[in-house]
Amino acid sequence: MVQINFALKEVNCKIVYYGPGMSGKTTNLEIVHQKAPEENKGDLTSISTDGDRTLFFDFMPLDLGNIAGMRTKFQLYTVPGQVYYNSTRKLVLQGVDGVIFVADSDPEKMEENLESYANLEENLKEYGKDLADLPHVIQWNKRDLPNALPVEELEKKINKYGVPTFEAVAVTGEGVFPTLKVLASMVLETINKIDKNAAKPRAQAPSRPQAAAPQPAAPQPRQQQVQPKAAAPARGRAAAQGGKKKAPARAAAARQAGGRTAQAGRRPAAQAAGGGRGRARAPQQAQRGPARVQEAAAAGKSSSGLFVALLLFLVLAAAGAGYVLFFMNNK
Amino acid sequence: MNANEKLRADRLVFYEKDIQKIDKILTEFLRLSGAKCVLLVDKEGHLVTRKGELRDINMDTISALVAGSFAATKEMARLLGEEEFSALFHQGTKDNIQLTLVGDRTLLTILFDDRTTVGMVRLYATETARKLVETFAQAEKEQGGMDLGMDDQYQDRAKNKLDAIFGPPRKG
Repeated sequence: MVQINFALKEVNCKIVYYGPGMSGKTTNLEIVHQKAPEENKGDLTSISTDGDRTLFFDFMPLDLGNIAGMRTKFQLYTVPGQVYYNSTRKLVLQGVDGVIFVADSDPEKMEENLESYANLEENLKEYGKDLADLPHVIQWNKRDLPNALPVEELEKKINKYGVPTFEAVAVTGEGVFPTLKVLASMVLETINKIDKNAAKPRAQAPSRPQAAAPQPAAPQPRQQQVQPKAAAPARGRAAAQGGKKKAPARAAAARQAGGRTAQAGRRPAAQAAGGGRGRARAPQQAQRGPARVQEAAAAGKSSSGLFVALLLFLVLAAAGAGYVLFFMNNK
Repeated sequence: MNANEKLRADRLVFYEKDIQKIDKILTEFLRLSGAKCVLLVDKEGHLVTRKGELRDINMDTISALVAGSFAATKEMARLLGEEEFSALFHQGTKDNIQLTLVGDRTLLTILFDDRTTVGMVRLYATETARKLVETFAQAEKEQGGMDLGMDDQYQDRAKNKLDAIFGPPRKG
């Protein structure tokens, strides 16, 4: 849900990248983090497994700066795409203001695309939200696949609400910014929507933010000079793998086990404000916890398995929070 | 629920006088409990306000992680047959975090060290949460039917800013 804070003069919105496993959600966010201007981006935090699969969420704040006196920020999240992690996907969806559905153009992934889209709709319903009314767009990712399904077919099968769609090759950056820009615009349009005829006069005027000219950021060309993730990738996923291997170690939260949060982050954090890749570094305590979660997934879904997964997520998130609070504060 | 009521329900709005009241409550909490700092974070992971000793901490990230952590425990509680856990405690070697649910939308996030005890923090956190709930209820009552108060130029300027950051719209 949009948070408008007139005291801090801030508007905060939440955007979630949703989609089936390995469709390119995290890649989208990584590209946004790589290519967004320094003054607009925050650190990219990932809570993921040892194998770089999203476990809880990836998160990156995007600060649009001062717009009409209000600092406007987007919190960008991705969800884990694997079917097993539905509980955590639901958690991340809480309070969402806009969704970017990242679909995989691989013909073999059509069923997963459909399942994921239906899952999105179902999870939103639990929060009383209707996908038909929620600002959302669809990205047809991996358009570089030689056997990528035609867009017309994807549109026909998936885009039942006729929302804006974008072709993309996320791993090279193509289509990433246009997708985000349109969705952001759709979300911002909802902020000030109100039936002026129905609004009563203000009992007490809030402190109105002073209208200010927007601070222009350095204009970005649509196609950045992208470092290819792998040599002439034939498959988008292979390229994504290459890119991720170059990433710094994943978030402290992904490597922490047990209830003590203070052990997180022996290394100094890589979280300079708005700087570089900005991934929170993991302490070298490789844990088997995340691997056990995946083994439990093979055994089938059960309440105990979900409980274990959620317990692990709690520990990871708490470790990440502890890492940020303790070690940044004591730097 | 009509359209405007739905729009209002989809927003969490804090006006300056609301935040002033909240800040006063939080300042008093810090004085009584001996905690180092306190953040008020909404359940979606947005920071509402903060008080106390906090330097160089990435507020966006900590808010997101706190909200995620709490959301995970809520689901655990549900599996165990509870509606939710209203408080969480994370113990560190030097510093600790106490999370306390405030109403149904915000989380009181308290950072404290050995200058105080978890009992003291919890004692005053409960009372503080109660006061905050009253403040929110009062604020919501006063906001009902009010014009939001955003600048009319906001939409257009937002579009310009998006063009500046992400590039102009593609032609054709």
